[in-house]
Amino acid sequence: MNLFNIIYTGSNQALAAAEGLLKKAIEEKGVDHKVAFPETAYSLPIIYAATGQKMNTLQDLEGAIGVVKSLIDEQPRLEPALNAGLATAVAAEIIEAVKYALNETPYEAPCTGHISDAIIRSLGVPLVTGDIPGVAVVLGECPDSETAAKVIKDYQSKGLLTFLVGKIIDQAIEANVKMGLELRVIPLGYDVTSVIHVVSVAIRASLIFGGVEPGKLAEHMEYTKNRVPAFVNAFGPLSELVVSAGAGAIALGFPVITDQTVLEVPTLLLTQKDYDKVPATSLEARGIKIKITEIPIPVGFAAAFEGERVRKDD
Amino acid sequence: MEEKNFSIDPTTEALVIKAEKEGIETLWDRKKIMKTPCGFGEEGLCCRICAMGPCRISPTAGKGAQKGICGATADVIVARNLVRMIAGGLATHSDHGRDIAHVLHMAKRDGNYKIADEKKLLSLAKEWEVATENRDIYDIAHEVAEVALNEFGKPFGSLRLLERVPEQRKQVWDENKLKPGAIDKEIVTIMHSTHIGCCADAKDLVHKGMRASLADGWGGSMIGTEFSDILFGSPVPRETEANLGVLEEDQVNIIVHGHEPSLSEMIVLAVEDPELLQLAKEVGAKGINLSGMCCTANEVTMRHGVKIAGNFAQQELAVITGAVEAVIVDVQCIFPALSPLTKCYHTKFITTSPKAKISGATHIEFEEEKALASAKQIVKEAILNFKNRDKEKVFIPKTKSPAIVGYSVESIKSQLDKVVNSHIDPMGTLKPLADVIKAGVLRGAAGVVGCNNPKVKHDYGHIELMKELIKNDVIVVTTGCAAQAAAKAGLMSKEARKFAGKGLATVCELVDIPPVLHMGSCVDISRILMLVAELAEMLDVDMSALPVVGAAPEWMSEKAVSIGTYVVTSGIDTWLGVAPPVTGSAAVVDLLTNKAEAVVGARFYIEPDPYKAAQQMIERIEEKREALGLSLAEAEA
Repeated sequence: MNLFNIIYTGSNQALAAAEGLLKKAIEEKGVDHKVAFPETAYSLPIIYAATGQKMNTLQDLEGAIGVVKSLIDEQPRLEPALNAGLATAVAAEIIEAVKYALNETPYEAPCTGHISDAIIRSLGVPLVTGDIPGVAVVLGECPDSETAAKVIKDYQSKGLLTFLVGKIIDQAIEANVKMGLELRVIPLGYDVTSVIHVVSVAIRASLIFGGVEPGKLAEHMEYTKNRVPAFVNAFGPLSELVVSAGAGAIALGFPVITDQTVLEVPTLLLTQKDYDKVPATSLEARGIKIKITEIPIPVGFAAAFEGERVRKDD
Repeated sequence: MEEKNFSIDPTTEALVIKAEKEGIETLWDRKKIMKTPCGFGEEGLCCRICAMGPCRISPTAGKGAQKGICGATADVIVARNLVRMIAGGLATHSDHGRDIAHVLHMAKRDGNYKIADEKKLLSLAKEWEVATENRDIYDIAHEVAEVALNEFGKPFGSLRLLERVPEQRKQVWDENKLKPGAIDKEIVTIMHSTHIGCCADAKDLVHKGMRASLADGWGGSMIGTEFSDILFGSPVPRETEANLGVLEEDQVNIIVHGHEPSLSEMIVLAVEDPELLQLAKEVGAKGINLSGMCCTANEVTMRHGVKIAGNFAQQELAVITGAVEAVIVDVQCIFPALSPLTKCYHTKFITTSPKAKISGATHIEFEEEKALASAKQIVKEAILNFKNRDKEKVFIPKTKSPAIVGYSVESIKSQLDKVVNSHIDPMGTLKPLADVIKAGVLRGAAGVVGCNNPKVKHDYGHIELMKELIKNDVIVVTTGCAAQAAAKAGLMSKEARKFAGKGLATVCELVDIPPVLHMGSCVDISRILMLVAELAEMLDVDMSALPVVGAAPEWMSEKAVSIGTYVVTSGIDTWLGVAPPVTGSAAVVDLLTNKAEAVVGARFYIEPDPYKAAQQMIERIEEKREALGLSLAEAEA
């Protein structure tokens, strides 16, 4: 199948899933049931940034479904394909919002799910100073946990902020990767849609630090492309949904590097089958240059280890 | 002129008004005086190849003369006329290529002509199995030149450069006996077969034309391009300006017009000569301002950024500005009308080639043996003419546009290197282009080439077609007068990406290129052939499988007929904005616009409306994409 058709298929799947879940939630809770992410002033940040509208109830979300539909126009051109990627992002936000509407704590440790405004504000300074040189979003599943750990630790040692989505979380745990905000490795959730919580970070950076007005989607995309040095590593077999979410990442200016054979787009969608080279490939694709002074010591050394606690047993 | 609506270019309109006021005729006036063209000639139904004629065939079946005196039918007469046009175009490009090969053969370390691109020479030497180890580069050059010169008249075998295509294409040509032998032989064969009482089979004649045309694209033209690069350097991206606004009020304006860079390259050197610059000062000019027209302009702009004064239909208008001291010409597409026209101004009309003498012009024969001295003498004539300029008569339109030119295949590859991830792919390939086409970010590529023709509103066909294509994420490569139209219209500036669809605009941004790429002169269409061939090879498919199309929206010359034919024969669908004189034979039209596809995988389309043409091209591109996607999926499985 051609790339754009895969994206459209994934976006339609995301739309159907969002519609289904919302319908079920409304049946259960009624249209006036409250919708909100915890500890944010930006409602549902992606929908807020895109439309300028705050979502308060499940009924509002029905309107947001219209936004998703309007973004899916199945023409064989890049622009509608990227828009369909954004549609998937909005659909994912709807799905995640419904999760929070149905359940006060849909995410449990080790997963964080939604990230609070306070955390984003705390990340602002190190992002601006370059202390955090980039944001890696690692999703899917590596062939083994050792490989997963190698990639994640590589980012960690370079000071990057790494978000994990999917089975790679278990692989990281299995390989004893230490996680937590202070360690700059944040497991988001097991569902693909939980990747939206990192998109939400980027979008809120645009709202908070960029001062871009809600509703000006093109300006938000310009901000994320120029100012948020994020990229995506998608490992393991890619579903249409993941590819379509990847198109959303590309729309925001974030390249996608995968270990799968895909129809490559230079600098934006790349195949790197050699896991040892994934970090270097990703940093080059996002234009992240890290000034490193390598100190030849037998343990990892980076700002990411600053908040590490050494427990008795260790 | 009553109708003012004959060009989309403001300088053209302004200068035609000036011409009118001064009682000067232009091509548009002469076109008008022609009144309605002869219907027999227009449909290709008139035959003058023997003294029993002229014969003409009625365009209506069953009514009037259906056969010539010898019995030739409309099909035969139309086909013969068409392939003679191909032979004319082929002869023109080939003689151009031959001359450049001769220049390489006389290149010397301490001569005027030197080797500028050793790498390209060595790679060609390797391709042609010319020994290179421990040899002087000039000895290699001379031997390579000799090999090339033999391509024009070798008694056996087919052309060497045909080997550059993918295996699949070779097979198509082999199966259909389309591989040409020696270049000149193909011209002779056509002239022979179209003699009275010789070939009288329309299909066979058209196939002969197709075969001959390959001796142009993959023969004469390609030799012209390769050797020009070897001698004068492979073009790299550079900035320039285009349109008649490049002429300067206070400088000596020299226009080089014609085709062969062996002359214009020397003129480029001559205008920088300190003595001549001093002379220019002495006659009261601030300097020497060199600009070009037609393909010679393309050659020097690609390699030196020399400004483009205008394209084919503007050659008279340059003189009408009253600000041109000399028009220096060599061969091809030079209006004889320039001779009486320049008499109305101070402009010197200087012919230089023994192949193209024009009555009334000043002929200063360009001697390649002492090329620079010869060029200096010509430039001196121009400088000395500055004092004769009538300031009252000077009017230079202010319009000009910035453009980036110089996109040879080599420089396209090095631009593409910008987007190569060094941890994944090697540098110096077309893979990024193949990737964006496969992914669909670019839907396809179109080569828009050709001339100007007063049957079409000047530059309208070129520009509207290009804009429609880039808007739909089809990248445009262009050469010749079409390229100059694009440069004038601002489509070759990086800002022009705002006219492009998101996919193409993204590619332009990442690769740092304009959406319309200037690939050079008309012989440089061979660059487009090479680009397509390499792309096909990279994807392991035939050239005809790629979502690639060609167009000549305002074509006029026999060269364009040969070009269109070799492009189709190479497997690329080609749109013509002006109907060729073939409509008198339904069979020939069918061969060109339909049956050709079964033979070479591509065909001609005739569509004067650029919007409709763009639509058809995009539809065809999508069809090819569909098929290509399937065949690539098959290959992967």
